[in-house]
Amino acid sequence: MSKRFFRDLWSGYIALLLFFLLMWLWASWWMGDTMRIAYERSYVAPDAMLMHWLWQKPLGWLWILGRILLTTYHWPIIGGLLVAILLTAGSWLFGYCLRLPISWRWLQFLPAGAWLIWTAHVGLNLFYMREPGRILAIPFMWVVVLAILALFIAIYKARHRSYVVLDTPKKELSRRSMLTGDLLEILVIAACFALPMEYLTTRHPYMRPLTCMQVQLLNNDYEGMSRTAHKYAKLSYHQMAGYYAIALARTGHLADQLFDIRLEYDTIRAYDYGNQPVQCLHYHQIDCNYHAGLIRAARHRATEELTLDGPSLYILKMLAKISLVEGDWELTRKYLHIIGKAPFEGAFVRKYKPMIGRPDLVQADPEFAAILRVLPPYHTFEQFYLRPSFVGFYAQLKTFRNEEQLTWAAMACLYSKRMPEFLQLCRRFVGSMPPRSIAEALLIQSYKDPSILQAFPQLEMLQSRFDLFVQDAQPYMQDREAGATALFDKYHGYYPYYYIFGNLRSSRKEESKEEGTGHRNAGIN
Amino acid sequence: MVTKRNHTTSLPSLMAMVCGWAFLLIACTSKPSAVPAAFTETTDSLAMYPDYRDVTIPPNIAPLNFKVTDASATEFVVAFAPAASQEPALVCGATDDGKIDMDSLAWRQLLTDAKGRSLTVSVYAHRPTGWVHYQPFTLAVAEENIDAYLSYRLIEPGYELYRQLGLYQRDLTNFTEKVIYENNRAFSDEDNHCINCHNYQAYDTDRMLFHVRASHGGTIVTHGAEAHKVGIKHDSILTSGVYPSWHPTLPLVAFSTNKTGQVFHMKHAEKIEVLDEASDLLLYDADQNTVSHIFHTSDRLETFPCWAPDGKRLFFCSAKMPQIEGEYSPMKVALRYDTLLYDIYSMPFDPITRTFGEPQLEVNASADGHSTSFPRISPDGRYLLYTRGDYGQFHIWHTSADLWVKALMDEGERPLAQASAPGAADSYHTWSSNGRWIVFASRRDDNNYSRVFISYFDREGRDHKAFLLPQRDPDYNALLLKSYNVPELTKRAVQVSVETLNHVVYHTDPEPATYE
Repeated sequence: MSKRFFRDLWSGYIALLLFFLLMWLWASWWMGDTMRIAYERSYVAPDAMLMHWLWQKPLGWLWILGRILLTTYHWPIIGGLLVAILLTAGSWLFGYCLRLPISWRWLQFLPAGAWLIWTAHVGLNLFYMREPGRILAIPFMWVVVLAILALFIAIYKARHRSYVVLDTPKKELSRRSMLTGDLLEILVIAACFALPMEYLTTRHPYMRPLTCMQVQLLNNDYEGMSRTAHKYAKLSYHQMAGYYAIALARTGHLADQLFDIRLEYDTIRAYDYGNQPVQCLHYHQIDCNYHAGLIRAARHRATEELTLDGPSLYILKMLAKISLVEGDWELTRKYLHIIGKAPFEGAFVRKYKPMIGRPDLVQADPEFAAILRVLPPYHTFEQFYLRPSFVGFYAQLKTFRNEEQLTWAAMACLYSKRMPEFLQLCRRFVGSMPPRSIAEALLIQSYKDPSILQAFPQLEMLQSRFDLFVQDAQPYMQDREAGATALFDKYHGYYPYYYIFGNLRSSRKEESKEEGTGHRNAGIN
Repeated sequence: MVTKRNHTTSLPSLMAMVCGWAFLLIACTSKPSAVPAAFTETTDSLAMYPDYRDVTIPPNIAPLNFKVTDASATEFVVAFAPAASQEPALVCGATDDGKIDMDSLAWRQLLTDAKGRSLTVSVYAHRPTGWVHYQPFTLAVAEENIDAYLSYRLIEPGYELYRQLGLYQRDLTNFTEKVIYENNRAFSDEDNHCINCHNYQAYDTDRMLFHVRASHGGTIVTHGAEAHKVGIKHDSILTSGVYPSWHPTLPLVAFSTNKTGQVFHMKHAEKIEVLDEASDLLLYDADQNTVSHIFHTSDRLETFPCWAPDGKRLFFCSAKMPQIEGEYSPMKVALRYDTLLYDIYSMPFDPITRTFGEPQLEVNASADGHSTSFPRISPDGRYLLYTRGDYGQFHIWHTSADLWVKALMDEGERPLAQASAPGAADSYHTWSSNGRWIVFASRRDDNNYSRVFISYFDREGRDHKAFLLPQRDPDYNALLLKSYNVPELTKRAVQVSVETLNHVVYHTDPEPATYE
């Protein structure tokens, strides 16, 4: 084997193979969860009527194509493979069409790199409030256009023998420039892999943990969600906090772990339909309301998203499950019928279709059983529930289905620091040791109302830690933001810390500017 | 002129259609086409959608395609025979999908021959054990046609938000659906707008109107093929014109003007409450572009105006404002949502002086703790058709809402028990121009998506079982994620073009109506 052979092999294939493998890793491991959620936020079916709404939009056919490709992310490893093939093929074709000499071969990876950077740049807008079909439609069309161009070149080359694409420039290069070219190629390939990762982590640090928790939720892996939240405890975003609360509610740790993570929400970079900055406060609302038993509020929001974005698997599945819980059998049948038209969704339909008309099967399902336990106990309006929604219980709840619901309402009050309402609820705990956060909150309140200590004598046990906290907190009382940072490691999860230093920034202004306000009052429908 | 919905004309759609037809052709070859010679009778209940069993249909209606579900069957045959005959006049087959797709010409001939009589429909299913024959059912074919055109709005049954929606017109004699007007398909802050409350004068399309809300707002008024935009707003008017009713002969429109609020139930049989915090009635002159108040009250709510066919009476709904303790707030009104009970009133109108007389109570629903909405008078002036529910006026979201009728001559009120579905919202009804057909929106299919139903109303004033608006594909309604809203019958197709309406909506400013 000559050196020339290995050189040709490297320049022709090894670099592309390396690029392909790294892209597969990136697209299936690094971005796998994100793309899986993008797939869930999409819907495509081989039915002209169901896709008519998208077909009619500008470039609708292209977005449908992109959605078809996105279905491969039903299995992220397959979706990742497709992305790697598209990017590698596109890069090779780009180099082929430009007749790049070896020393400039690194340039062929730049368009793929640009797409990778774009995916990192847009963050949640990769699929939220944007067309998910464009994610894969863009590289696919890039490959198609280049393939057509390459075909023309190949035909031209065949007819004009003197036209040589790859060999001619290579012979003219010096060893040094070839080595430089190889080095640059390796660097660019590495950059294509590492830079989007670094950029995503810097610009949208919540993206991977958030979508990871969403995928864990799809798999009912509540312990996993909790672990993910703890792993990224210092990242603080409404959406992550929402999914964390779901995990705690499902694992029974809401009252002792809610304040373990930082709850001082940072700004996320996302834009609404009209390209105005938005904090995506509705992003997690459907899941949170649903798991909190507020299924009417979940239905409300899901219906609005169906109206604004068209059908997605996520919304249709949610509506199907809500309809089952509510006993709307025909509506469930309708949603399952539509879901069943989408490729690879047979398992979902097979799981839930037998429950139609069978309340006993609905009650026996662990997910539904947990929701049924915490349905609102009596009639109220959605407007009377607290915001944010993830523990947003009705603070004035007078009767409860069970202790679980009472605890959630109390935690909603603690989260929103509504102590008078909290104390009203706590009367139910008299005679028993309340859950940890509730006990810690009662201890704080006992300084205002010593009779609390008489009702809850067990609180004495918590006194020593509280005294230590007061001592540590004293220097930061004039600069609470500094205190929040300085004391987080020592006191995160401790309610007095949250009460003094947590959730300092109000999110109310952001909520009032939330997405969709420009579409109100649909009127009679 | 109206434009066909784009999905029937674009090139890719055409390709899809060609593929569809090719597929259909292949599929058709395997469809059975004759009544099986040997079969056994089955007592199994026939599972068919839509349910067209024992309904009365107009002789000019499009084919009643339907779907039969029988898990073990691989083929189906449906035979239509005149009641007195054993010989089927039309035989259709279906493969294992159970979809009966009838030939339009054969169907038309069948109905023409059966006018005023009944058809016996026999369904056969081919199971592994052989052919079975279900219990036959009948289709009664009425003497009277239904108006050929039905307009409606298609909109997601959302709570507060809207996106893409449009007004469409269906030819009831076939399956053609055309666009009257659609809002912007692609999101745009500058162009997003809602459209609602389309209304015609005396079943004709010469004069129609609809509202545009948000961007490009105004009321679009058409006359023949012309259209213009007006602004029915004034400091003394609550909002703008809302629920309209064209005077049958004069260029006048009675509008309600409503200040509306919404609340959402967390645990209740209903999902949404839409309440009027205030409402009045307006009279708009389309030729003079002037508007005046018919009612301007603070202690009562007036809404849903409707002219009598002779134009000499105006019917409307009215309710007392709820008693609010302490300072007034919309939320306090919302909390009293179930105490708002609307009755139906009418008052004489003098077309020459254009003045109204004293209101007269027509339906006293509040007396027995109920509420009414949407009065509609039959073209012969004999019947008042309305929706009756437990409370409020947003009955299209109330499961208690049913159709009721009052015979104006003898003052008797009764539910339309055959047409209405208990436990499902039935509302937004309209009469056909000959008074023999009632068309309305109902959520009976799934309690969420409203669909158009048609019921025969015979000369004796009896309603008949309602049937779902037929579609070429019986699965259409199962897949459609929009609701049919405010169905309105007309004798002619809409005359104004989509292009004209687009121009008027996007490129003209509303001409402010003069308040008198």
